[in-house]
Amino acid sequence: MTALVGDRRVTRKPIDWWRWAGRVFLFFMLLFTILPMAWMVLTSIKTQFAAFQYPPQWWPKEPTLDNYVKLLNPFGAVGQEFLQYLWNSIFVSLCSTILGVAVAVPAAYAFSRFRFPGRRFLFFSVLLRNMFPSVIFLMPLFLLMRWLGLINNPGSLILTYLTFGLPLSIWLLKGFYDNIPVQLEQAARIDGATRFQAFFLIVMPLSSPGIIATAIYSFILAWNEYVFALTFLNSKEKLTLPIGLQHFFTEYATDWPGLMAASFIMSVPVVVMFLILQKYFVRALTEGAVKH
Amino acid sequence: MSISTDQLAAASASARASRPNLFTRVAQHRADYLYIAPALLVMLLVIAYPVWFTIQLSFEKTSPSLSLADQTFVGFDNYWTILKSQSFRDVTVNTIIWTVFSTLFSFVLGLGCALALNRAFVGRGVMRAILLIPYVISAVAASYIWRWLYHSDFGVIGALAVQFGLTQHPINFLDNTTSVLPSLIVVNVWKEFSFAMIMLMAGLQTVPDQLLRAAQVDGANTWNRFWHVTFPHLRGVTLVTVLLLIVANLNSFIIPWIMTGGGPAGASDIWITSIYNIAFGRVRFGIASAYSVILFLVMISLGYFYVRALAGKDDGAIVE
Repeated sequence: MTALVGDRRVTRKPIDWWRWAGRVFLFFMLLFTILPMAWMVLTSIKTQFAAFQYPPQWWPKEPTLDNYVKLLNPFGAVGQEFLQYLWNSIFVSLCSTILGVAVAVPAAYAFSRFRFPGRRFLFFSVLLRNMFPSVIFLMPLFLLMRWLGLINNPGSLILTYLTFGLPLSIWLLKGFYDNIPVQLEQAARIDGATRFQAFFLIVMPLSSPGIIATAIYSFILAWNEYVFALTFLNSKEKLTLPIGLQHFFTEYATDWPGLMAASFIMSVPVVVMFLILQKYFVRALTEGAVKH
Repeated sequence: MSISTDQLAAASASARASRPNLFTRVAQHRADYLYIAPALLVMLLVIAYPVWFTIQLSFEKTSPSLSLADQTFVGFDNYWTILKSQSFRDVTVNTIIWTVFSTLFSFVLGLGCALALNRAFVGRGVMRAILLIPYVISAVAASYIWRWLYHSDFGVIGALAVQFGLTQHPINFLDNTTSVLPSLIVVNVWKEFSFAMIMLMAGLQTVPDQLLRAAQVDGANTWNRFWHVTFPHLRGVTLVTVLLLIVANLNSFIIPWIMTGGGPAGASDIWITSIYNIAFGRVRFGIASAYSVILFLVMISLGYFYVRALAGKDDGAIVE
C-alpha cells in the first residue's frame, strides 16, 4: 500500500494538453487581431509608391510621417478638411455623452429607489431599444429632423446618439444605485439635507464608477456611429469623421497610405480611452448579462 | 430559504389586498416620474414616434419628393411587393448566412479566448486589451483596413497566398460573388468576437471554484469539468450573448455598406443594406418601411427572449 502511494508521488504530472491547446489558440487569435492593425500602421508610414508594389514591401524601406503631417497640417487643404471632421466628431460625441449622463442619472435613480406604477414596464421598454434595427428609425427621424430644421445640424446627431447610450446607461447605473444602501441617504436627510442634496452629495459621488463607465460607453458609440451621420449630414464642413473618412476615400481614391493614416488617427482617441478606462468599459458591456 | 420566500409571498399578498387603485398610486408617486421624464421624453421622440411612423408609412405609397402631403393608403401592397420579389428571397438567404455564421464563429472564438484567458498568468490583462481593440475601433476604419488587405492587386492577403503557393495570382475577394460574403463575415468576426469573449469571461467568474476542484478530486478530466460544471453555469450568459450577437449582426450595416455596397450583383446584400438602398437610393420610403417592419417583427420576437433572460436576473435575488 505504502509502495503504491510512493509510486504515485514519483510519477510526473502529465502534460496538460488542453492548456497547451489554449495557449496555441490564443497565439493565433492574437495574430488574427493584431496583423490587420499592424498592416494599417505599416501602410500609413509608406509613400504612395511604396504601398503600390507587388510583391508588397513587408517593411517600409523609407518610412515617412508625411501622411500624418498632411492630415494634421492646419494650413493645407487636406489638413483643414480633416481637422474640421475631427473637431465635429469631438463636439458631437462630447455633447451627446454629457447630455446622455445627465438624462440617465435621474432615471436610473428613480428606477432603483422608487416603486411607482409602471416601473417595470417602463424599465424594460427602455431596454428594448437595443433590439430595434437602426433603419427603422432612419426614415422617420430623417423626416422629423427635416421638419425640425435640424438636417445638416449636429443637433440632430446629438439627439439621436443620446438615446443610443441611454438604455445601457440606465441599466448600468441602476445596478450601482441598487448597491448603495438607502440608509446613507436617510442619514443625510435626518441631518437636514433635502432629497436632492442627499442624492447629489451622497449618492452621486458613490456612483462615479458607474457614471464613468456609461460616459465612456456613450462616447465610443457616438464616435463610431455612421448610419445616422450619413443620412442627416450633407454639407462637407459638418461631417463627422466616419463620413469624412468615406468622403476622403472617394475624393482621393487611390491614396491608401493617407486613408490608413486617417483610420489610425480616428482610432487613437477611442483606443487610448479604452485602454485607460478598460475596467469601466468592460463593466459597461457585461453588466446586466452576468449575475455577480 | 423557503421560509423567507413564504414570508415574502405572504407580505406581497397582504400588500396587494390593501393596494389603492392605479390612479391613486400614480398620483402618490407623481414626483417620482419627474426623474424619468427627460429620459422618457427623449425616448418617446426618438423611438416611439419613429416606430409608429414607420408602421404608418409601410401602408402608404410615398412620392419621391417626400412631401408628406401626397401619400396614398395602399393597404398591404408594399408587403406583397416585397414578399413576392425574387430579390427579397436572395437578400434573406444572404442575411441568414451572414447572421448565422457571424454569430457562430464569434461565439466559438470568443468562448475559446475566454477559456484560455480564464487562468491567471502574466500578461493576461494586456492580451485581453489587445483582443478587444477591434471591438472598440470604428467599423468604418475596420472596413477600410480590410478593404486594403483584400485589395485585388496590392492586397497583402492575396500576396501572402501567392507567396505560400496557394494560388497563381492574387485573389479577388470582394469582386467575386462566391467569396464576397465569407470575406465580409471574416471582417465581422474580427470586429466582434471579443465582445463574446468578455461577456463569457465575466460569466466564467461566476463558476464556483470549489465545484471545479471537487470535480477534479472526483476524477473528472478537463473536458468533463468544462462540460458538466463550467458550461451549465454559462447558460444564462450564453443566451444573452448569442441574442445580442444575432441582433447586432441582423443590424449590421457599415461593413457590407463600406466594403461592397451590397455588390457584386447583390451577392453581399443583406436586409439592412437593401432597406437603405430602397429608402435613400430609390427613395421609396413606403416599401422600405414595410421592409423595416418585417425586420422589426423578427427583432421583437428576439427581444422577447432578451427581456425574459434579463428579467429573470432582475428578480432573481428574491426568487432564489
